Amino acid sequence: MNATYLRTEVRRTLRAPRYFIFVIGMPVGLFLLFSSLYGSGDQDGIAAKAWLMVSMSVFGAMGAAVSIGGRIAGERQAGWTRQLRLTPMPGRMYVASKAITALAVAVPALALVYAVGAVVEGVRLPAARWAEAAGWSLLALAPFVALGIWLGHRLTVDVLGPLSGALFTALGILGGVWFPIDQLPSAMQSVAKALPSYWLAQAGREPLAGSWIGWHGVAVLAIWTAIFTVLGARAYRRDTARA
Amino acid sequence: MPETMLAAGLSLRGLTKSYGPVRAVAGIDLDIVAGETVALLGPNGAGKSTTIDMLLGLARPDAGAVTVFGRTPDEAVRAGLIGAMLQSGGLISEVTVRELLVLAASLYPAPMPVDEVLERADLTELADRRTTKLSGGQTQRVRFALALVPDPELLVLDEPTAAMDVETRRRFWASMRQLAAAGRTVLFATHYLDEADEYADRIVLMAQGRVVADGPATAIKAVVGGRTIRATLPGVPDGLLAALPGVGAVERHGDAVRLTCTDSDLALRALLAGYQDARDIEVGGADLEDAFVALTSPATGVSA
Repeated sequence: MNATYLRTEVRRTLRAPRYFIFVIGMPVGLFLLFSSLYGSGDQDGIAAKAWLMVSMSVFGAMGAAVSIGGRIAGERQAGWTRQLRLTPMPGRMYVASKAITALAVAVPALALVYAVGAVVEGVRLPAARWAEAAGWSLLALAPFVALGIWLGHRLTVDVLGPLSGALFTALGILGGVWFPIDQLPSAMQSVAKALPSYWLAQAGREPLAGSWIGWHGVAVLAIWTAIFTVLGARAYRRDTARA
Repeated sequence: MPETMLAAGLSLRGLTKSYGPVRAVAGIDLDIVAGETVALLGPNGAGKSTTIDMLLGLARPDAGAVTVFGRTPDEAVRAGLIGAMLQSGGLISEVTVRELLVLAASLYPAPMPVDEVLERADLTELADRRTTKLSGGQTQRVRFALALVPDPELLVLDEPTAAMDVETRRRFWASMRQLAAAGRTVLFATHYLDEADEYADRIVLMAQGRVVADGPATAIKAVVGGRTIRATLPGVPDGLLAALPGVGAVERHGDAVRLTCTDSDLALRALLAGYQDARDIEVGGADLEDAFVALTSPATGVSA
């Protein structure tokens, strides 16, 4: 892996206005809002503020992961990926750099929401729990990174913008990222538990109570990752096939 | 690179390429010696870009083979031997010009120092500007810079001066001359005869997916840059006019004929001597597009 390439990719992503709005701004803003509305009491045996904090942080991280799709589509459209084919860099390195970048820029997004939780909202947790929550959140981002790579190679920028916005919101709501699913009808709860967004949120929340999502949750995340990876690999091959 | 590999130069053999029903390249054979500066000249749709795509390994020929310094295009790209400026090559956003070039340089085995690239592409002053804040001509210079980054033996430029103003164009070619003088092989596509004439050692004329003429700039210019004679001349078969000395092709609209000439002086004398009733005679510069059409008729291709 080329360090200069990776560093430039991360720096570029952090400079994009989109990043600040959707990955940093919205999660922090929503956390402060929800916290003032629903921040008292407990949820799933966790202080409500901590629950909301982790929920909003994974919402931002999910945005970071899926947004690489838009960047890939944009670079394909601009002819940059074609230009890269005239360099010795293998195409799979381009994809790998995007994936690593997505995880790298998710870290400050998580950290900022945690910092707001600790400093502004007074969330108190042992150091190990913070680390576990962050670590599990990053691991559980895998299906979203794969989803971004797939969509980025499959769609044009014009389609991808609105679609990823809608998809992102739907996954957030249906997967119980914004509101606990125990308020939903049981059929909807079953749907939620089949979605990667539910397990992403749980992956961040469970460590707060000293627990983890268990093998069932890991399996759901792994299956979605595998599906998106296969679709992504196929779209990538079709996109880069020489006519 | 070992001399023997360089000596192999570039070789395009029996290349054909169709996109659906469109025959973009209909059989091209071309050898380019290392160190040559060659212009691919032709109107839009002549097959120049498709030929370049096959040379770079971006498109796969339906038939035929390409070698670049004795290697496949992919191998040559991986070895950093080819620098290319494509018509469609875009830039990425959220980086400065320098950052972009540093990024590109990190991908090659033995890149040209970034400061040297900036200087050769006339970008030193713009090094810290974001790529999204550049004018069309400046963007074009950055794309030229990207072609220089690998410190390539072969530079391939597809209509490099589109979107450049006169002064930028002049400086671009001055830089290209230096690069060519250092022994690099340069292949550029253009549809400007003047540009091909002034900067290339050799011009390869393309029309309808084929090479219709290939030779030193002076020889090609004599054909393509030849003049046309227009006259009103009823009742003379086109075949007789085409047989006049110095005439390349004949086109007729009613009584008006237009003769595309390889030697207009000779043709004019013959016309006046042979056809007393020729009227409204005008001699003018050739229209490049017309010249290409004339050259695609089988008998008139030149070889030098």
